[in-house]
Amino acid sequence: METLDNTEWDVVISGTGLPQSLLALALSRSGKKVLHIDHNDYYGGDEAAFSLTEAEGWARKHSNSTSEQSVFSKAAVRTLEVNDAVKSKLGTPRAYSFALAPQLIYTRSNLLQALVSSRTHSQLDFQAVGSWFAVVNDQNDPDAAPRLIRVPSGREDVFRDATLDLRAKRSLMRFIRFVGSYDEDGEREKWVQFREQPVHSCLRDQFSLPDAAIEALLALALPPYANIEPTMATVVPRVRQHLQSIGVFGAGFAAVLPKWGGLAEIAQVACRACAVGGGVYVLGKGITNATKSEVGVTLELSPGEKIKTQWLVGCSKDLPTSGSYTSDLKDNSGAIAKRVAVISSPLTSLFPPTSEGGPLPAGAVVVAKSATSPRATVQILAHSSESGECPTGQCVLYATSTGSDGLDVIDEAISSLLRSIGEEPVPDILWRMDYVQTSHDQSDNGLSVDGPIVTLPSLSIDAVYEDKLLNSTKEVWQMITGGSEGAFMKFEPREGIDEDEADDG
Amino acid sequence: MASHGIPRVSGASLDKSEQAKQKERKQIDQYKALESEVTDRIKARDYSNATFQATSKLLSQNPEYYTIWNHRRRLLQDVFARELATGPSGPLIDETDAAAAQKAGLTLAQHEIALLVKEDLLFLIPLLKQYPKCYWIWNHRSWLLSTATQHLPVHNSSELWQGELGLVTKMLSLDSRNFHGWGYRRQVVKEIEQLNGSSMAESEFTYTTKMVETNLSNFSAWHNRSQLIPRILSDRQASSKQRQTFFDSEFELITRALYTDPYDQSLWFYHQYLMATLDASNDQALPILDPCTNTGRVDYLEREIDSIKEMLEGAEDCKYIYQALLEYSSRYIEVEAGNKKVSTVELREWLDELRKLDPLRAGRWRDWQEQLKL
Repeated sequence: METLDNTEWDVVISGTGLPQSLLALALSRSGKKVLHIDHNDYYGGDEAAFSLTEAEGWARKHSNSTSEQSVFSKAAVRTLEVNDAVKSKLGTPRAYSFALAPQLIYTRSNLLQALVSSRTHSQLDFQAVGSWFAVVNDQNDPDAAPRLIRVPSGREDVFRDATLDLRAKRSLMRFIRFVGSYDEDGEREKWVQFREQPVHSCLRDQFSLPDAAIEALLALALPPYANIEPTMATVVPRVRQHLQSIGVFGAGFAAVLPKWGGLAEIAQVACRACAVGGGVYVLGKGITNATKSEVGVTLELSPGEKIKTQWLVGCSKDLPTSGSYTSDLKDNSGAIAKRVAVISSPLTSLFPPTSEGGPLPAGAVVVAKSATSPRATVQILAHSSESGECPTGQCVLYATSTGSDGLDVIDEAISSLLRSIGEEPVPDILWRMDYVQTSHDQSDNGLSVDGPIVTLPSLSIDAVYEDKLLNSTKEVWQMITGGSEGAFMKFEPREGIDEDEADDG
Repeated sequence: MASHGIPRVSGASLDKSEQAKQKERKQIDQYKALESEVTDRIKARDYSNATFQATSKLLSQNPEYYTIWNHRRRLLQDVFARELATGPSGPLIDETDAAAAQKAGLTLAQHEIALLVKEDLLFLIPLLKQYPKCYWIWNHRSWLLSTATQHLPVHNSSELWQGELGLVTKMLSLDSRNFHGWGYRRQVVKEIEQLNGSSMAESEFTYTTKMVETNLSNFSAWHNRSQLIPRILSDRQASSKQRQTFFDSEFELITRALYTDPYDQSLWFYHQYLMATLDASNDQALPILDPCTNTGRVDYLEREIDSIKEMLEGAEDCKYIYQALLEYSSRYIEVEAGNKKVSTVELREWLDELRKLDPLRAGRWRDWQEQLKL
């Protein structure tokens, strides 16, 4: 291809992860001259999706301890000791698409609004995340099979749940109503009193909730990965987000996942939109050096090309680390263990229809507590083959846990889950990949600006996509274009595309 | 605009750019031209296919224009009449059509009518999706199917109505509270029952259970359920004991729902319906119990008053509970003059709570006070 040497740009975006790609989408109609590069030879950065072979290659690259360039380490693909009959069930490598970012997106999230108003949603396929489950071990009988309990995630679930007696239904609904109004005048006094209280004792003492209901609510809240007891201030807003998202896009579900590999799909579509708007894309090209000047930045790219730009934007790992402009983000070693596992069964009972005539869910959430270390929680996002991530007859589990023994706890949790399903024989793990991901301790919006060099916050590694990511995209977009807040991501149909047709899509 | 969470417009943005405004002006001009084309053609009694196509185009843009739907039906009637008059030896018979008709066991005219009806039903589907609360679209479907029933053998029209049941189920899954859908569903079920000669009350009852389990706040589903109960009991030829068991299980269901959410009015309506079936003076609600004795009435009233009193715990600010207590208590006093269960002190307390919780209905509460002689 032509050399980039001596070219000049309005904006250079480094890295094609979700944060950078959303900025590319926002700038796609700005008339700015955008160069979007990635030092990887694939799209998606930390949010990429891989086929089986690609995943194995990626794991080899990230098998060592944390490098300067990556938040991933200790990656390893494990071949399990299974007989040939089981092994032969594994499909062709291309039949898989594993997501580094399988985060679920609540239907009220600003990301979905932005995809609709920027007219990119029609290129994406969203599927329902239907049910939340807790895997419960019998306290009295450690040999008993663990039980899988569906978490009531809304009024109709509470009504139907046969395990809750009338009083428990009432208490749970009273809490749910509090969740809906805790920041309103009538409840503010109570909220101030409850905010900093640990969840278990507050829900038990103030809301008379039985223990099982408390565990259920915690599964619903999916608090950030941490080994400390969450407070009401962490849990209540998350439960609210869940409840208020039910039914927004259809009956019976609160969250969605993008088909074909999680958030990678959104990043790809966003990049495509920027390319349609004239943005230039080059993969396999990183920045080796950046020097600020009066009018912008001079960049050295990997094979010795020099370019100039008014703005340089990227996540901290995509920007050169030396020099005066390094961001003040601290590496706060919030390391979490992750496992991607292909299961030999579709685990149909994780994806029941959640409403009459509603969509069949392709995603589910399972929360399991460790029997041996009770503080440790494992959050598992289960994707059915409908997600396009594995062949039919199988499903993919994305499990996450904290702490140094994270992988052991995950091991225990997945095995509990597989036994709790009640299938005979117990389903096998056909393939798995383990890795460690480090999160940055981010200040409220995590955005850092050093003259023309802007460091975007990384995507939160929690199980749920958080709105603050797009808020910082907006901030950067306003900085670069001077556009008004209301115009962010609001695009008219492109010339030549009939508006009605576009709407029908 | 949205009601009960279902958006009513297709999300067109209000602040339009100059370019968009210009486009809109152009659309308005085109619409006006189309409208006068249709009315001129109808005035000139031009019942051609071109006129028919023009109504399609106009109605797709504005399905609320009911006069045009009337024109459309007149055009269809004209075609049907011509088909029926032509007979089997008409001059312009397509051989493949004739073969298809014969295969389906239809006359050529019936075959053509069936095709036209099916085509028009298909034309309505995208419109119905976009305007699920437009009376004229539902009305036109209903007309098409009734007309088909007149002209086609039972087997064919029954198939059409079965398809309609599928459609209305789909529509109600998109908006479970669309009362057009529920009303239409009752009509469709009635037609299928008549054509097939068998009751669908049981399966429709099960359908209402599924619908309230998906969304408790569904006035239409609860209403439909109440309408189906007398039919189910008579279809089952239920004994007194079976009727009582049925009645109890409905109370169990609604009590569970009311404990879950006492603030939901639709649930109280259903509870009121169940209680009304005990009321001999209410000829709107057929009795569920048979025989419905005074002892039975008193027993149920006592039980429900007790149960609702218990519901107050943790929902002391819920006015529906006090309202139900007062209402059922006044009925209880009527049938059980002994008045053991409720005291005047309690009645006054409940009324006071209502005054506090719902001061805007002060007059109503005063009336009640006088009525109950408190």
